[in-house]
Amino acid sequence: MSFDASTIIYILEITVGGLLVGIGVHFVPVGGAPAAMAQATGIGTGTVQLAAGSGLTGLLAAGLMMSVTHDIWPILASGAVGAMIMIDATMLTGNWIYAYAVGCPMASAKVNYDPITGFSQPPYVAPGTVGQGIPTVCFVSGTIGGAMGGIGGAMIYYPLVLINQNPAESAIFAIGIFLVNAVLASWNIQGTIEGFHDPKFKKWPNAFKSCLVASLILAVVAVLITPIGGI
Amino acid sequence: MDAFSMGLVAAMGALATVAGASEDIDSDIGSQSNPNSQVQLAAQVGNPHRIYNKAIAGEPPSNALWCTTAAIVAYTLITGYQMPALFAIAAGASVAALFDGVFATSAYFGRSASQARFNQWVYLDIVRYTTPSIMAHVWITSFCICLISYIQVYVLTPHHPFPIPVIALIWGLTVGAIGSSVGDIHYGGEREFQWRLFGQGLNTMLSGQIVRKAEAGLRNSIDNAWFCAKFGGPCTGMGFGLTVFLDNWRSTVFDPVTQAPLAIAMGIFFVIVMNLYSFYVDVSTRRKYGPYPGYKGDIAA
Repeated sequence: MSFDASTIIYILEITVGGLLVGIGVHFVPVGGAPAAMAQATGIGTGTVQLAAGSGLTGLLAAGLMMSVTHDIWPILASGAVGAMIMIDATMLTGNWIYAYAVGCPMASAKVNYDPITGFSQPPYVAPGTVGQGIPTVCFVSGTIGGAMGGIGGAMIYYPLVLINQNPAESAIFAIGIFLVNAVLASWNIQGTIEGFHDPKFKKWPNAFKSCLVASLILAVVAVLITPIGGI
Repeated sequence: MDAFSMGLVAAMGALATVAGASEDIDSDIGSQSNPNSQVQLAAQVGNPHRIYNKAIAGEPPSNALWCTTAAIVAYTLITGYQMPALFAIAAGASVAALFDGVFATSAYFGRSASQARFNQWVYLDIVRYTTPSIMAHVWITSFCICLISYIQVYVLTPHHPFPIPVIALIWGLTVGAIGSSVGDIHYGGEREFQWRLFGQGLNTMLSGQIVRKAEAGLRNSIDNAWFCAKFGGPCTGMGFGLTVFLDNWRSTVFDPVTQAPLAIAMGIFFVIVMNLYSFYVDVSTRRKYGPYPGYKGDIAA
């Protein structure tokens, strides 16, 4: 295989995709196990698992689009939309449980006023907890995070298919690169974050640097391994 | 778009709804995911219990494992032995359920035995009664997801380029993520702590103080499934059903070859509607429930 300009573009695309995943994870409001007991604000699961669930749903949508066209924009948009639909459906049904089963109002413990709606938050935080539910700002932030994860997953998948013409192999590689970046970002936020209004969000440059290095290495491997290995 | 494709998308939505509900009830019976932290803690703070305890892995990886196992068996039987699809998928789901039974049993024995110093017993009757129920729910989940993958790859046009096992892996991860985010709240936030004040999350002081007595006798995991099947399971099913249905509906109604921008715009429309609906839920709960009475800060409600 010749190492030409298109190879460098492929490597750059995979790296940018990895970076989008890494930064997108910072937007997803995850509260971990405490959120499942309505003890903390956010979605009650792990960062990586939720990011993977939404980003890979986007990957399915992007894969379907890529089977009919090789134009990059509809593929990226499909990935974003698929991921946003998944994460919104999850957050919406999760909010139903907070509202109609646990019976609590949505409240963030990290800000005094919701930056989007302007609603006051501390009076609605239950005693002995650090917020509960998914207030509007977290919902919007999660939607943005899902979109970035979906675009990132699609952007990793797109050059891989162009290189090896094999959707299955490319999908598995994309899942792997996706998970590496999601885990790196998850370490940066120490497992829980409320969204772009959370003070932890300011730590994103750390994740940017580490995801850049990891994605670059993975991109070089991903681009070179198929022709060299002769798979 | 034709009527047959729409019927297929509707069937996929229905299958996804069933898969989501059964996935959540499986995790509630086995006490698998986030709320299991409280079940683990209960014995350590002096509350030995009769709740099943199978934390094999997080829900998304474990469900991805069951669905992929089922899909690989089904794919092998379909392509290698020319078996009928329904039979092959049922056989695959059975293999996945057996795998789950092995993992669940060893997880229960290991976790309970390691808490012997806290007087936590290993109850053999719990293993006998609960494990088949867990396996049955895993069978339903993996069967439905394999069938969705089969429809996407072989029946629905345009055919999906990924093979069945990869699609089953992704849907398994997704259904686990949704079950872990949605249904777990009903189990962890409501069922495990029923005697605290209603209308608030778990106070940190009460960690580990799970309810151990049932309506009659001691509570076991089947009681939890009875409760969570009323709301947590259906909500999880709704979440996964919406994901599968809306995502496939827009790419079926609008042909991705000629009407790709419309399909994408439709997806964005769904996203905006869901954001507005969540805003409505946020506003209506604030209005109906009001601020907490014990609040003593300066910020006005």
